[in-house]
Amino acid sequence: MTLAERQEAFLNAILDDAAPLPKGWGNSQAAGMAVYRANYRHAVISALAETYERTALYLGEAGFRQASINQAIAHPPSGWTIDAAGEGFDGTCAKLFAKNPEVAELAWLEWSMLELATAPDTAPMSAQDFGAAVADFGDEEWGALGLTLQPRATARLVDHDLTALWQALGQEGAERPELQLPEPQTCLVWREGERPTFILVEADHAAAFATMQSGATYTDMIGALIGDNAEPTPEEIQNAAMRAGAILGRWLQEGVVVGLT
Amino acid sequence: MSVIEPFGGFGLGLRRTHYDDFLSAPDQPRVPVDFVEVISENYMIDGGRQMRILEEVREQFPIIIHGVSMSIGSAGGLDADYLTKLKRLEERIDPLWVSDHLCWTRNSAHNSHDLLPMPLTEEGLSAVCANIDRAQDALGRAMLFENPSSYLTFPEDELSEWEFLTEMTRRTGCYLLLDVNNIYVSAANHGFSAMDYLKGLPLDRVRQIHLAGHDPATPKRDIIIDTHDRAVADGVWDLYAKAIAMLPQPVATMIERDDHIPPLPELLSELDRARGIADAALVPA
Repeated sequence: MTLAERQEAFLNAILDDAAPLPKGWGNSQAAGMAVYRANYRHAVISALAETYERTALYLGEAGFRQASINQAIAHPPSGWTIDAAGEGFDGTCAKLFAKNPEVAELAWLEWSMLELATAPDTAPMSAQDFGAAVADFGDEEWGALGLTLQPRATARLVDHDLTALWQALGQEGAERPELQLPEPQTCLVWREGERPTFILVEADHAAAFATMQSGATYTDMIGALIGDNAEPTPEEIQNAAMRAGAILGRWLQEGVVVGLT
Repeated sequence: MSVIEPFGGFGLGLRRTHYDDFLSAPDQPRVPVDFVEVISENYMIDGGRQMRILEEVREQFPIIIHGVSMSIGSAGGLDADYLTKLKRLEERIDPLWVSDHLCWTRNSAHNSHDLLPMPLTEEGLSAVCANIDRAQDALGRAMLFENPSSYLTFPEDELSEWEFLTEMTRRTGCYLLLDVNNIYVSAANHGFSAMDYLKGLPLDRVRQIHLAGHDPATPKRDIIIDTHDRAVADGVWDLYAKAIAMLPQPVATMIERDDHIPPLPELLSELDRARGIADAALVPA
């Protein structure tokens, strides 16, 4: 047996209680393996508990432990940082708690905030600086305008009031709020200085954000706001352009834009 | 490979719960340590509060960066992305030295996030030495490697752990981080003499000592577990006194606590005990 084969068999035995122990092992090795298996589970569950503090509070000890074990089985860590053990936990929660989709949304939010906490430091572009930069823009320049958004900032549609849930989970003994939103909203997650933060804004921010984050232009953003309408009227185009301006203004106000391209 | 000059002193690991203690105002007394050790992987990041704090602590103290995920014993070699990020941290912090463990943590697909024991074979030694050569070349400096605690040995072992470490330092020019608690734990778990272990090592290569607590054996469990979640045990202090007396050069001693982390004064009190033992051990008979 080569070293590579030994290490493969050893790690398989840690990840899977049912995996056979390597050939030639006796009772003393089996007792030692029990410690390594316990260490592995403890490490993954502890890392998840640290990353998903509010999700753990929301689910309670038993529910979170069940989700953590499912995560460890479905997504054994592969990266060199233990923090990465939490990647995809929102998907694990979505499957496990299909009747409570707010759990997966909360887990997604906590993961996004963890990612932002160690993102590169950048300075937000102020509305004044933006105004100065585009002061001489004509239609052509506006159409070709691209934005550099804060690294690892993210946005997605959510169906639940994550703001109310976040605040309630941060206060011991707080009552659980009504979570279902009347209509989906965009959860925008970014960093204020060193502190990850989020807000819920109008639903159309999500498509606009995804468009600009992909490196597209302001024209593309207006197109994304028009949506699937293949033959928009001039009024619809005008409305989309006004929405694009309002959305961009909000991003500048919140400090999500860090530069122009 | 470069030479690491001895550095005598007493330090602690930087943990989040103690950030405010280490970032004392300029008119407040500094935490009485000679160096601070940080877990490399916690700072192999792009930016944010954690990195800013490390840079502020660096302005006050020498820093040692200590890794847990290099996986120097992996048969499949080292992770290039890991080495790149470690090098970036090393350049940013200019540490006293960079250390990791004699262990492996992953295969090509998965990471255990535990310090898994090396088969003590010639093949294992060759793999470790090739990986150390690559890591030291990437960093442009010699590294320290820590003796692990372990809960099993392999039937195919060909060398004792101290023979393995001795040959490893000879072939690669690396240095040793002597974890006295790990020697104590492994000696009890595998039935070897801790003094034989110490006597068998190239002690002139030791630059640092770790001291930590462990979970003792119980009636239901023969194995001692290295937990870093409590005070250093008396048996480990005794072994520390013997080790210090045997070392031919000053070393950096630190207390490791990774779980159930107490207020800083409790750790400083343990560090004072280390200072006292070291002072007594070095007094001529």
